[in-house]
Amino acid sequence: MSVWLLLAAALVVGGVVVVALPFLREPAPESDALHELDAAERERLDAEEERDRALAALKELEADHRAGRISDEDYRAVVGVVRRDAAEALRALDRLRAGSAGGTRKDTAKTA
Amino acid sequence: MIALSVAAVLAVFLLYTSLAGGGTPSVAPSELAAKTGEVSLAGRVVGTPTGDPHGAGMRFVLQDIEGEQKQRVTVLYKGSVPDLFRTGRDVVVTGTQRADGTFVTTPGSMITKCPSKYQAAKS
Amino acid sequence: MAELGRAALIVTLGLSLYALAAGGAAAALGRRRLALSARNALVASFFSTLVATSVLVAGFLRDDFSLAYVAGHSSRALPLPYKISAFWGGQEGSLLLWLLVLTAYSALAVWLARKRARDLVVWVTPVLAGIAVGFSWLLVAVSSPFDTIPAAADGNGLNPSLQNPYMVAHPVFLYLGYVGLAVPFAFAMGALLSGRTDERWIVTTRRWTIVAWTALGIGQLLGAHWAYQEVGWGGYYAWDPVENAALMPWLAATAFLHSVMIQEKRGMLRVWNVTLVSLAFCLSLFGTFLTRSGVVSSIHSFTQSAIGPWFLGFIVVAVVFSVTMIWLRLPQLRTSARLESLVSREATFLYNNLLLVALCLTILWGTAWPILSEAVRGESVVVGRPYYDFFLRIFGLPLLLMGIGPLVAWRRASLRGLGRVFAWPACIALAVGLVLILLGSGSSIPGLVAYTFSAFVLATIGQEFVRGTSGRRALTGESVPTAFGRLIGRNRRRYGGYVVHASIVLLAIGVAGSSAYDSVVEGKLARGQSLAVGDYRLTYRDLTEREGANATEIRAVLDVRRGGDSLGTIQAGKNAYSVEQQVSNEVGIRSDPLTGEDLFVIAEQVNDDGTVFFRIFVKPLVNLIWLAGLVFVLGSLITLWPDAREERRLASRYASERERTERTATT
Repeated sequence: MSVWLLLAAALVVGGVVVVALPFLREPAPESDALHELDAAERERLDAEEERDRALAALKELEADHRAGRISDEDYRAVVGVVRRDAAEALRALDRLRAGSAGGTRKDTAKTA
Repeated sequence: MIALSVAAVLAVFLLYTSLAGGGTPSVAPSELAAKTGEVSLAGRVVGTPTGDPHGAGMRFVLQDIEGEQKQRVTVLYKGSVPDLFRTGRDVVVTGTQRADGTFVTTPGSMITKCPSKYQAAKS
Repeated sequence: MAELGRAALIVTLGLSLYALAAGGAAAALGRRRLALSARNALVASFFSTLVATSVLVAGFLRDDFSLAYVAGHSSRALPLPYKISAFWGGQEGSLLLWLLVLTAYSALAVWLARKRARDLVVWVTPVLAGIAVGFSWLLVAVSSPFDTIPAAADGNGLNPSLQNPYMVAHPVFLYLGYVGLAVPFAFAMGALLSGRTDERWIVTTRRWTIVAWTALGIGQLLGAHWAYQEVGWGGYYAWDPVENAALMPWLAATAFLHSVMIQEKRGMLRVWNVTLVSLAFCLSLFGTFLTRSGVVSSIHSFTQSAIGPWFLGFIVVAVVFSVTMIWLRLPQLRTSARLESLVSREATFLYNNLLLVALCLTILWGTAWPILSEAVRGESVVVGRPYYDFFLRIFGLPLLLMGIGPLVAWRRASLRGLGRVFAWPACIALAVGLVLILLGSGSSIPGLVAYTFSAFVLATIGQEFVRGTSGRRALTGESVPTAFGRLIGRNRRRYGGYVVHASIVLLAIGVAGSSAYDSVVEGKLARGQSLAVGDYRLTYRDLTEREGANATEIRAVLDVRRGGDSLGTIQAGKNAYSVEQQVSNEVGIRSDPLTGEDLFVIAEQVNDDGTVFFRIFVKPLVNLIWLAGLVFVLGSLITLWPDAREERRLASRYASERERTERTATT
């Protein structure tokens, strides 16, 4: 048998081992469930994104105003809305945090 | 989304109006008789070319690339000749057929296709 | 040795199939170990593809002509760098390169994202694996690089026009770009499959997209430079289908790149984004298909090529899959945020999207129409330059103006606000326009418009840098260089973006100058005769012939004079390659460092009596195009540079999710 065929066989074996590795390492795990985000976690993530977005918008507005891209008039017209959005986003996030800390966490991970 | 459909409609309209006038038909030598006006002639170079493309014009013969009945047509070409041009190559030239059967080309309109490589050489 | 190569590719196919099936099952059923197993398979497929690649490279380096592919594209006399680049000189090898880059990117992408986007990665794995299945199937069953033949004494050699540094680099960059688009596509599909339509897939793939887009852009510029210098017909872009094949995904990717910024900032344009990334990826598959299957010349060659129908099927699957997923998730993608004003930054980005997609689709139509018309009407047509030029002007010129996007206010821009920002640049542009008319640029209206728009955008960018720096100095009192540096450092995405926009404007100026304002003369010269073009006068002096490494080199030598000054000599001629039995055009180019223009000499025909038919161009500003490429890379690097604060913020946002995941797994 040529050396190339041997190498090819080694490659196949290697592939099978690598693929079987997670099962070999944990033959009997406690949970084989893939953790997926439940509704509460998704809500929280969305709220955090919203907060980051609102804060970034406020920061950018301030920077634009300072750099002269926006006139004082335009700034005054829009800063109220942006600030309100940011405050709302922060409040929503706080509410979610408070809710999850107080209540019980439902585990909706799929079972085997 | 409304914006997308507006864009699509606009695009189609523009394309239709421009394509109605654009796009030269691409034909093989055997299809040439049926066509009038400017066409894009695609064929294989057979025989030896004669003449000066930068002078009175180069004459060569194009034959159908595919098909059972391979017909030939004489081409009179003026202008730049791509490096890949030679007997046995497939070329495309744009022009019209004269009454005497000679295909007279738009100057400089020759394109060669390299058979095994994927790029076409332009002139 | 070919057996190892073939076996390695079969292993890749097997691993990819497993990753697709197991990955899909694991994601749908929620099985952790199976998901890990699928991910391992995807990573392992890179290593088996690497083995196959090494076998083929070794075949080239060892002059192993028992491999049909090596014999077809290499020869003993071929210089070493070209023996390596011959790897991707033909269909089978370039498919293998595609697969190599794909598996490398896939392995890297799922590895890097394994912590931050775990629920996405479980879906991304089968999508990337599916693409790998497609290509490895082609390599195993349809178009194998490891077919053997009785060993010949020497190979056929590499096409001489491919034997230059540009053709070594151009396909690599293009593939880094084409394949790179698969990653954001897979993450987008992963987001849709998992029902997670938040911005995580965008945040995770932002750098991937920019790298792929930059590589694709550079690849095209390299190709254009090759066409300009080596093919030498006097231009750099001919709207050839294989050229369009790379431009279309790049345009779609440009739209995608910009549109995601709107989703990040305002949560809008979600449907646009998943559509654009799918369009970009499907176009990149289409581009590979066009370039590799020979379908372009005629539909007959398409059916004769073994690979054509498979590729087409592959593209159909990709399109149907993306459209289905987008359709299914449409309710989740829709947002309540609405466009408040037609004059706002959001609106500008929307116009940008529309223009880019419109240009992309018109090019797609022009490229596909010959094929479609032959299939439908039985008669093929050729779509000429005028069609493309027309639409390039209609869509491209307004696109230039879109560079002002970052300066328009969010939500709603007032006219007064616009006046503040654009008053000075508009005045400068107008002044430039007038000066140009006086200098004679009015000879081409599109050229004049391009110049004026470019001046406008460059002025706005310059104004941004000036105002930003002085604003910083007002706050911090730093020196000009420090303020400038810190300004860019603190706002890498914004100012990097400005640099990239500036490069596009430079490109536009170069293109406008060299196509709208060029001059050409031609004529047959005997020794001692001259031709005048532009400000130059060229006199044909002599004809030389010498034996090079693998070709006979014939050169006509000309003296160049401008005004009263001698500018030296320029040579142009032909190379006759003995092994490959081909003649190549070797043009003479003289670039003027001050004006950026090129004197471009083609020795069209060398006659036996020593007379030469010359074609001579003067191409103004053409070197700005290549300069633009360098500025483009610089701008991209700035936007790509890691931002520690940004990283921390994202880490904290997703870490809280991870902490909870960790806690849940152990309880």
